[in-house]
Amino acid sequence: MSVEKRIFKIPVGPQHPALKEFEHFVFTVDGERVIDVGFRIGYTHRGIEKLAESKTYIQNLYLCERICGICSAAHQGCYAQTVEELADITAPPRGTYIRTLIWELERIHSHLLWLGVAAHEIGFDTLFMLVWRDREVVMDLLEMISGNRVNYAMSTIGGVRRDISDELKHKILKGLDILEERTKYYKEVCMKEQTILARAANVGILTREQALKLNAVGPTARASGVDVDLRRDDPYGAYDEVPFNVIVYDTCDVLARVLVRVDETFECINMCRWLLENLPEGDIRTKFARKIAENEVVGRVEAPRGELFYYIKSNGTDKPERLKVRTPTLANILPVCEMLKGGYIADIPIVLAGIDPCFACMDRALFIDENSEKKWVWSREQLRIYSIKWYKEHGNEVVRERWKQ
Amino acid sequence: METIELLILLLKFIVFPGAIFCIAYGFFLEWFDRKLYAKFQNRIGPLLTGPKGLLQPFADFVKLLAKEDITPVGADKLGFTLTPLLTVAVSLFTLLFIPIHSLTGVLSLPGDVLLVLFISTVFGLLIMFAGYFSGNRFSMVGTERTGLQFVGYEIPFALSVISVAAAARSLEITNIVNYQVNILGLPLIVFTPIAFAIYLISALAKLEKIPFDIPEAETEIVGGWQVEYSGKKLAFFRLATDLKMVFVSGLAAALFLGGPYGPSIPGLEPIFYTIWFIIKTLIVMFILSNLRSLFARYRIDQVVHGFWKYMVPLAVLQILIVEGLIFMGVI
Amino acid sequence: MPLPGAMEKELIKLIAKKPATEMYPFIKVEPPEGYRGKISFDIEKCIGCGLCAKDCPAGAIEMVEDERTKLKKRPKFIYSRCLFCAQCEESCPRKAIKLTKEFELADYNKEAMVIDV
Repeated sequence: MSVEKRIFKIPVGPQHPALKEFEHFVFTVDGERVIDVGFRIGYTHRGIEKLAESKTYIQNLYLCERICGICSAAHQGCYAQTVEELADITAPPRGTYIRTLIWELERIHSHLLWLGVAAHEIGFDTLFMLVWRDREVVMDLLEMISGNRVNYAMSTIGGVRRDISDELKHKILKGLDILEERTKYYKEVCMKEQTILARAANVGILTREQALKLNAVGPTARASGVDVDLRRDDPYGAYDEVPFNVIVYDTCDVLARVLVRVDETFECINMCRWLLENLPEGDIRTKFARKIAENEVVGRVEAPRGELFYYIKSNGTDKPERLKVRTPTLANILPVCEMLKGGYIADIPIVLAGIDPCFACMDRALFIDENSEKKWVWSREQLRIYSIKWYKEHGNEVVRERWKQ
Repeated sequence: METIELLILLLKFIVFPGAIFCIAYGFFLEWFDRKLYAKFQNRIGPLLTGPKGLLQPFADFVKLLAKEDITPVGADKLGFTLTPLLTVAVSLFTLLFIPIHSLTGVLSLPGDVLLVLFISTVFGLLIMFAGYFSGNRFSMVGTERTGLQFVGYEIPFALSVISVAAAARSLEITNIVNYQVNILGLPLIVFTPIAFAIYLISALAKLEKIPFDIPEAETEIVGGWQVEYSGKKLAFFRLATDLKMVFVSGLAAALFLGGPYGPSIPGLEPIFYTIWFIIKTLIVMFILSNLRSLFARYRIDQVVHGFWKYMVPLAVLQILIVEGLIFMGVI
Repeated sequence: MPLPGAMEKELIKLIAKKPATEMYPFIKVEPPEGYRGKISFDIEKCIGCGLCAKDCPAGAIEMVEDERTKLKKRPKFIYSRCLFCAQCEESCPRKAIKLTKEFELADYNKEAMVIDV
């Protein structure tokens, strides 16, 4: 067989069992080795940013929550926090504490979910099933607090919507104890089990330099020795009061990403305990006038997957003029391509899963920004033809207007 | 007279302990495996079809038979159609050598250990053909992986069987069973535990179960060699997998656990032997299910590396131990 | 060489343990207090202000003519569109809307999935 024949392309996605969501990757492989990676994003685009411009601030709370199913509280909280800044109101301390508690509980749920998925990707279904069984504990806690397992709808503009009673507090503390014990066991398994180590250690290397150059965020960056965590670097919510450690590993491989997340789960559990014990008395929300004067604000939170970024511009009505979201997965997509190069085909799923990708979050807007058009599934060629046509029709006025500005 | 003998032989081939019994037992073993696997994961497993979900594997099979059967354009038509049938035929044929209801299998010839080893090698080859004929990129990767894994597990598998044959000083399954029952009075596992362990691990690889389900790794290459198979053909492959489970556990029972021999009432041997066979194969199946729920999937290079670096030397060591024991007159 | 199989002890324990699976359709699971399920609406308390319809993010509430309320209007809930955020419950000034624990809402007929008192 000639050399050219051995090299062929393997498409992964848009539908592939390794990706739970739709995204397209093309791997050029030589036997079992990956030589090159190409990707095309945008398969789960839903036009949320455009839709947000036609909805009121209150309605957008629930729209933003649905950008991502797993980090819904991070999205909603970030949106609420940004709008609060936009309207120049502050949430009362009790409200902020409860919001922070939800964020941390969600981080526990997200990290455990990820651990299960990672185990499934390397074919360890037993660990996957058991981790997900124990994740139910935190899901049930969140359901008890908020009334829903996934979309908690807890944050609102100016605070949170539900209070935590003393009885509930005890239930949460009890649940946290179970979670801590189980997480300890899973950490032990991850450190001891040889088959996991064989698949995770020294796999999907992303050096510190690469991570910095390609702007990795969140646990992916922290596993590469980049000491970055918004909760400490730019405190929001109640994070300037809660004591916690930022977990950083510098082995740069998938195992480091596992350990960063598992250790962060312990930190989350401790933070939740601290927040519950030091919950201040008082109101949980302040009043919010429906209209916001002209203003623009950038808000950031540390979602379970990394830095989440919101930009909102108001124009004096009860609807935002522009809402822009940058999710952590978009920032991590270039680093993951770097990690995959030179690895084995067998390592693709675990490395891809290693960044905890959430493609549905990522694909809100791609071509929308440039074109304000809903038809986004275009190849570059189609886009070029379209833009030529469009400029022929409207071009002159637009160009003139731009010059005026 | 001759007609009746012929008829009995035919019944042996087709009904018991031949095709129909083996297929039914294969479905039962699959159910047992799935139920245990679920138990290890704190789940329930098959539940609703039949009592405790006992008929689920059979229901799956029937359902697949009724599904649309697609032959892809890029596939080699003849090979694509023939491989599933051949796989089932070959696995059924090997089962005829396994002693189930008596100390002798339906077929028994001098040197049949080698024949069975050879035919079980054909399983792997057929899987490679199956992937190759379907002309899919994922199948090609699956085929490559099957080939590589094949290189890894076949030698330790053969060596572990050879060490038993060396202990019994015979290459005939019947003689090996007879040796354990009548001469030694003990199952051979007492003297060949290392070979038994190696046999089980290689058997996992032969059956393509975790941690060696590399050729069909769902999350990596979407089912590997079987990605293009659907409907009847897939049903046949699944049936063949079940039959292979019977074969692997049956051979383990015959070679290491003293065959289907056990305490019984004189005159009712076939019934008691069948029950002992079932008990012994279930023990083997229990170990296999436990092993497959215990590990993560290895990477292909790690498998080949592991088999050659650890398993082959260990198997050779086992043969040396057996020779030593024979030399000292212990066995 | 350390041997793989760190979870063996746990697996042996699990054989004797009851499965974690809930037998859901056969044995019902009671949702916790405060669960956000199907809407219940009390026309007696409603004044017809339309705040619920204005705040509903999914457009699941329509205001229709009604003589019984003060402002001659009442909400009609199309709960096949509802996303159970409970914003209507929060917006209602007279507490006429409440989210109940009922969650098995699927129906063969889309038109039937409406609360219209």
